[in-house]
Amino acid sequence: MTARDDEIRRVVAELDAHVAEVEARVAALKALLADDEVPEEENPC
Amino acid sequence: MGADGSIHAASPFPRCVKVRALTDVTSETLRRWRESRGWDVPRMARELRRAARDSGEDVAAHHGLVKMIPRWERGDRAPRERYRLLYLRVFQDALGDLSHGMALGTDVALRLAEVRARAAGLPGPGEIRALEAAALAKPGKPVTPAEIRALAAEAIAHLNVVAGKLMELSALLGDEPGEGKP
Repeated sequence: MTARDDEIRRVVAELDAHVAEVEARVAALKALLADDEVPEEENPC
Repeated sequence: MGADGSIHAASPFPRCVKVRALTDVTSETLRRWRESRGWDVPRMARELRRAARDSGEDVAAHHGLVKMIPRWERGDRAPRERYRLLYLRVFQDALGDLSHGMALGTDVALRLAEVRARAAGLPGPGEIRALEAAALAKPGKPVTPAEIRALAAEAIAHLNVVAGKLMELSALLGDEPGEGKP
């Protein structure tokens, strides 16, 4: 495995984490706009 | 606001949603890829069969794939390697440099494509601001206006980092600059 491959893996992991952070906050904002307190599809965890 | 000063404790679902986003990868990826093209399940089945035909492979009949694809997307069953490779062929543009992706390994190539697809599906700063404004305007909300503003600000801050990481990734992969969203 090359240093470039390692770098790609690292950036993908960091990108994944930041995308998840955005998704979580956008989901929270959308949940605040939902009529029901706990939307059905958001509830299973 | 939580005791540690974070917004998380007061937010309705962030941890729950985050856990799901990080763990439910494969099935979500397949669905997102398909939906990013605006394809229904029968179209996805046709594309997989076309990719197989182009490479001289035998795959399940159309109606069989139409049944299997939703199972893969729900996570009921995992696609076998031949179908994972067919997905890679069909969505190779989402992977960027497929040859490099394959050199990295199928799992990394899939993850790369999945993360890029998720990044492309994120709302822009304007949409986040609109969500913020709508949430602030809604009566009877369970969190304070400051917490709503903090949520939106954090989302946009992470969005900016995502944009930077996408550029970094494109440079590493030799993509065209500025590819992807945000």
